[in-house]
Amino acid sequence: MHMFVHKIKLPGLIFASCILLVSLTSASEESGLKKNIDGSVIYPRTKTNYSLYLLNTQNITTFNHGRKPTANEIKAWNVDIMPDGEGLPEGSGSVEQGDELYSAQCASCHGDFGAGGSAYPTLSGGQGSLKNQLLQAGDEPPMRTIGSYWPYASTLFWYIQSSMPFNNPKSLNNDETYALVAYLLSVNEIEIEGHELEDEYVLTKEKFLKIKMPNENGFYPVSPTRSNLKEQRPPLAQGIRCMKNCKEQNIVFIKNEITGFDPKISSVKDLPKNKKQDKDAALKEVYSKSCAACHSNDALGAPVMGDKTTWKEVIKKGVKQVYTNAFNGINAMPPRGGNMDLSKKELENLIDYMIKVSK
Amino acid sequence: MNKNTEESSKLISSRRSFFKKTAFFTASLAASSSLLAPLKLDASSLDDEAITKLAPWGTKLGDLVDKNHYGMPSPYEHNNVRRVHDLLSSGDRYATVSMSPLHQQEGIITPNGLFFNRSHSGTTQVDPHKYRLMIHGLLHKPLVLTLEELKRYPSESRIHFIECPANGSTGWRGPQFDNLQFVKGMMSSAEWTGVPLKVVLKELGLHKEAKWMLAEGSDNSEMARTIPIEKVLDDAMLVWGQNGEPLRAEQGYPVRLLLPGWEGNLNVKWLKRLEFSSKPWHSKEETSKYTMLQKNGKAINYFWPMEVNSIITSPCPENPWSALKKGDIIEISGLAWSGRGTIKTVDISLDGGKNWLEASLKGLVLPKSWTRFSYIIKWDAKEKMLLSRAIDDSGHIQPSIDKLIENVGVEGIYHRNPIVGWFVSKKGEVKNAHVRS
Repeated sequence: MHMFVHKIKLPGLIFASCILLVSLTSASEESGLKKNIDGSVIYPRTKTNYSLYLLNTQNITTFNHGRKPTANEIKAWNVDIMPDGEGLPEGSGSVEQGDELYSAQCASCHGDFGAGGSAYPTLSGGQGSLKNQLLQAGDEPPMRTIGSYWPYASTLFWYIQSSMPFNNPKSLNNDETYALVAYLLSVNEIEIEGHELEDEYVLTKEKFLKIKMPNENGFYPVSPTRSNLKEQRPPLAQGIRCMKNCKEQNIVFIKNEITGFDPKISSVKDLPKNKKQDKDAALKEVYSKSCAACHSNDALGAPVMGDKTTWKEVIKKGVKQVYTNAFNGINAMPPRGGNMDLSKKELENLIDYMIKVSK
Repeated sequence: MNKNTEESSKLISSRRSFFKKTAFFTASLAASSSLLAPLKLDASSLDDEAITKLAPWGTKLGDLVDKNHYGMPSPYEHNNVRRVHDLLSSGDRYATVSMSPLHQQEGIITPNGLFFNRSHSGTTQVDPHKYRLMIHGLLHKPLVLTLEELKRYPSESRIHFIECPANGSTGWRGPQFDNLQFVKGMMSSAEWTGVPLKVVLKELGLHKEAKWMLAEGSDNSEMARTIPIEKVLDDAMLVWGQNGEPLRAEQGYPVRLLLPGWEGNLNVKWLKRLEFSSKPWHSKEETSKYTMLQKNGKAINYFWPMEVNSIITSPCPENPWSALKKGDIIEISGLAWSGRGTIKTVDISLDGGKNWLEASLKGLVLPKSWTRFSYIIKWDAKEKMLLSRAIDDSGHIQPSIDKLIENVGVEGIYHRNPIVGWFVSKKGEVKNAHVRS
């Protein structure tokens, strides 16, 4: 009754000293399993069951739940952009404007000119590196950037507008997004119809549709037209079912032990230590929502929580001065870290907590 | 009942009535516990005091039944938690992953609080009253559903694993993490409840040119992925239930897409919109990321199913055999799974792959689901290199590390499914190790 409970008979094959069982592919085709385009088995959904799962057998197919969306509703949510430019809005922006926006809103994570530097993605460079393999220390790895890897500029426009900047997405208008795309293409030395993207270059919808990304042909099997999608994709690598006297193998151990798991690795079953730090736990929660985006790494130049040396410098000015700076904003830090809901007292408690953790 | 025990129970019952009359519950109990003299049995070195002495939890009341309105694990299990590592994040703990403690999981269901959590911009909290799902594009009847309306469809429940395609990716150049949690913890499994997408779509009238579906999340990152219609109309589901309760926020509350067996990121969380088109979208997460760079510099895109895979979960570095005595009978057990179908066979090797033995499959054996395997041995206190090799009903056999690298190089990041295992020392310590020719 259930297809997958059938035992598939494996024809055995003696080959040298190994017992090899031939690939099961032919066997499963013989047993009549249908496969989908990903190479996976399709289990039939009958009137009564789907594999081992039983189903409601009343066969009701009309529900009439919900309603039709309005044109405005579809317009509000249907903001994706396709490789052929479908969905691309009107607008324009220059490389220079993009440069300014980038320095103000992107460089802190992605580095000057998209060159990376922090743990966040590098956006430029790497062209010609995709065949690199980092097999041992010293090898150059491949670099997957907008210029070296991304196949379509449509993805760039769509992603920047819907998901960036990381902590303030959906804040860039169409002109600003055009400007940022122009800037990112320019730092990747991508030309449009033979024109280099100098500072004064203005990217418009019309010019956008002419962009050819260098790695457009670097992907398979799915193109935007889908004409070359292969049916029943094979596995990346097929194993062999050898049972006896198979190939001798060498055992490779870990070379450098990694620590730094959070929390520490432990399977000990004991009673946890008293949680006298409840106040700190509450502050940690506020910290993670309001401060961690900048203070958990040094990308923005904010003192990293836990960095003893930097915090020693910070409190040299006196704790009161730190309170005042945080309240009014300092350097890249907006007043109250951008969280205007924080009261003065809450902000000071947070600072005390951050100082304590960084001692 | 012997005399001593009788006396003890008298004592306890008189104390109980005393406590009833007084408010000094906890303090009095602590003070009076010294009244409970140990039983005067003949002392013998063979006696286990866990048996011969009264257990403290047997002589006092337990916690109030309503202590936790949402139940908690035993406090002794506080180390059974998800863990993170900065090596697996991109600079913060919003766009990162917490790894599931597979070494302490039983059966084929992950408790909701231990389900691995991967997100691209943090765990979003969606207001269920303002939740809307829009279905539009190449179909006759575009649709908007509230959560309540979606849940009116007849529900079905399925057990499926979800695995991030980067699970195991730290091993491309050799073994790195010396624990199961970080070797394979980027996956978990649940019983999901929802409605098959094809049931919902049947009355919406898909155009025949509708070949692709965009699934988009409503979170900060607007996670968007393109799904081919063949999967949509096979086993895709809209799910709102996870192991008998509403989806956890970490898993996309109130609604996520479920694509059984496919890359975790395709199972879009906080699902907001489904659009049908004749063309694929090429979103950021299917071009810049989740594409698999090959040795020739070209990348495989739209790589969907998680391939056949297996891992021994006992023993493992966190569950060593160091307490075993020579001659003890012990079970080797683990998990096998495949996004291409149902597990048919699991073989294990004790000698690093020279000889193999067919293991038993245990419990429910379901499509695109974790499947338990088992093989019992007598511990001989000799070094072992344990491996497991799974085969599914699509005909896919788990490859060796050498074979996979020969085919795809080491820079693909994703879909690393070769045969792996653990080295066991004479003392029963367990280490992560690879076998290579």
